Amino acid sequence: MDKLSREEVLHVAHLARISLTEEEIEKFRVQLKVLMDDIDKIKEVKDFDDEMMYTPINENTRLRDDVVGEMLSAKVATINAPKKNGSFIEVPVMINE
Amino acid sequence: MSKYLDLGIKEIHELLVDKKITPLDLVEESLKRIKENKDLNAFITINDKVREEAKNLGEVDPDNLFFGIPIAVKDNIVTKDLRTTCASHILDNFIPIYDATVVEKIKEAKMLIIGKANMDEFAMGSTSETSYFGAPLNPLDKKRVTGGSSGGSASAVAGGLVPLALGTDTGGSIRQPSSYTGLVGMKPTYGRVSRYGLVAFASSLDQIGPMTRTVYENSSLLNILVGEDEKDLTSVSKDKEDFTRLIGEDVKGMKIALPKYFISDIVDEEINKRVKEVISYLKEKGAVIDIVDMNYLDTAVNLYQIIAMAEASSNLARFDGVRYGTRATAAKTVDEMYEKTRGKGFGDEVKRRIMVGSYILSGDNAKTYYDKALKVRDDITKEFNRIFKDYDLIIGPTTTRVAPLLGITKDDPHKAFMDDVLVIPVNMAGLPALSVPVGKNSEGLPIGLHIIGKTYDEATIYKLASNIEEVF
Repeated sequence: MDKLSREEVLHVAHLARISLTEEEIEKFRVQLKVLMDDIDKIKEVKDFDDEMMYTPINENTRLRDDVVGEMLSAKVATINAPKKNGSFIEVPVMINE
Repeated sequence: MSKYLDLGIKEIHELLVDKKITPLDLVEESLKRIKENKDLNAFITINDKVREEAKNLGEVDPDNLFFGIPIAVKDNIVTKDLRTTCASHILDNFIPIYDATVVEKIKEAKMLIIGKANMDEFAMGSTSETSYFGAPLNPLDKKRVTGGSSGGSASAVAGGLVPLALGTDTGGSIRQPSSYTGLVGMKPTYGRVSRYGLVAFASSLDQIGPMTRTVYENSSLLNILVGEDEKDLTSVSKDKEDFTRLIGEDVKGMKIALPKYFISDIVDEEINKRVKEVISYLKEKGAVIDIVDMNYLDTAVNLYQIIAMAEASSNLARFDGVRYGTRATAAKTVDEMYEKTRGKGFGDEVKRRIMVGSYILSGDNAKTYYDKALKVRDDITKEFNRIFKDYDLIIGPTTTRVAPLLGITKDDPHKAFMDDVLVIPVNMAGLPALSVPVGKNSEGLPIGLHIIGKTYDEATIYKLASNIEEVF
C-alpha cells in the first residue's frame, strides 16, 4: 500500500504542533497519503478563471473602528486557564538560553 | 404520561398561553425522555439549571411562539456557564464566559436550553462517530448513524427528546443528518446568522441553522436566529422578513433546475426513484422542472477538503493548552507542551485534518492548493449564479444513500468526505439550502430532498418545502 515516509508524517505533525505515538505514525503514513492524493486532484482542474473567492459575502464587508471596547477582568479572562499564578497564566519555560 | 412534546409548537404555545401547562412541564418531559433514551447519546452535557430557568418562566406570560420551548444546542456553540466541549477531549472541561449571539437570541425568546448536543469532534466528520463522547444513535434504527456533524441535534429532535435544535453546517452538517433522521434542516445563506460564539472550523463556510420536525417550525425558528451582529463582521444587514410568509403558496409556475449530477449513478436507485416521484408531483402542480448541466459540481469535495482543512488548521491553532482546555503535564518547554497537549487532546480525524491543512498552507503549497481552490470556488459560485438566472430553485437528493450502519466509515479518511458530496457545493457558494423528508425507503429509513435557493432567498425554499412536506 502507498504510504508517506515516517519523516513526511513527522514533518506535517511538527507543522501542526501535534505529538504522535509510534502507533499513530504508522497509521497516519497510510491515512495521510489518502488525503494527500485527494487534495492533489485539484491539479487536474484545468478550466478555471483567475478570480479568487475569499468569502461568499459580496456586500458590506467592513471593519470595526479601532477603539477600545469593553474588556474582561483578568479574573474572568483566566477562569479556564489550566495553570494560574494570581492573575497570570503559567506556562513552562519559553526561553532557556 | 404527558406527550406535550409530540405536539406542534403552535399547539404547545396555545397550551402555555391558556396556562394548561407550564414551561416546567415541558422541561420535565424532555428530561425524562432524555433519561429514558440515554442510549441515543444525543447530549454531551445537560443544563442542570434548566428546571430553575423553567420555574422562573412560570410567572411570566408567553410573549412569542417559542416561549418556554426546550431546545438542544450543538456543542460547538458557546453557552455562558454551561460546558461547551466541541465533542473533544481538549475542551472537556471548558466553561464559556459568554453566550454566542444565537444563544442570546434564543434566550431573549425565552427558549430553554436543555443541553448541549453531541457532534463530530470540532464538527469534523459526517457520521458523528468522531465524538470523544461516543456516537449518538439514529432513533429510527439504533444500529445506524445519525449522520453528522450535527448528529446529536438530529438524534435529539428525531428521538422526540426536544422539538427543536441548533446545528451548524460547514459542508452539509445540518442537511445530511436531517436527511438521515427524517428532519427539516436549513443551512441559511452565509452571513444570515451571526457566527459569534460558534467555535470556528472553516470560517468561510460555517453557518448556524435550525433543525426541526416541520417546515413551519424551521422557518419560524430562523426568524429568531438571523440578523446583523457587530461581533461578526461577516454577518449581513438585511431588512427584517418573515421566513414563513410563502409557506403553503402554490408552486404553479415555479422554475426549478435539477442538475444531472444530482441524479447520476453515484446516488442510490431507491433515492433517485423517490426524487423522480417528487418531480412528477411538482410538475402535476404546475411547476416547471428542467434537467440541467452544471459544471464543477464534481470538484466540490476536493475544494472542500482543501479549504476546510486549511482553515481548520489555522482556526484550531488556538487550542494549545495555555488559556483554556486540557493541558498535557510533564512538558519541559512550551513547545513540548503545545505538541503533547494537542497530541493527547485531539482525536484522529481532527489530527489528520490539521496536519494536512498545515501542509496545504505551508510555503508554496498555499499557491498550489489553497489559492487554486479559491479560484475554482469562484467558478462553482458563478455556475450556480448562471443557473439561478433562469430558475428559482435547484433540487436533488440530499444524500447518495440512506443512513449507513455504525462503524462502516470509521477510520476511512476519504469516505468521511464522500457522504457529503451532494451538499458541499452549496457551502462553496454560500447559498441557502434545506433538506426536507420525502418519505422512507423499503427498509423504513428516511430520504431527504435537497432544495437550494438563491442568496438570501430562504423564503422561496420554504415555499417549495412546505408543498412537498404536505404530500410525502
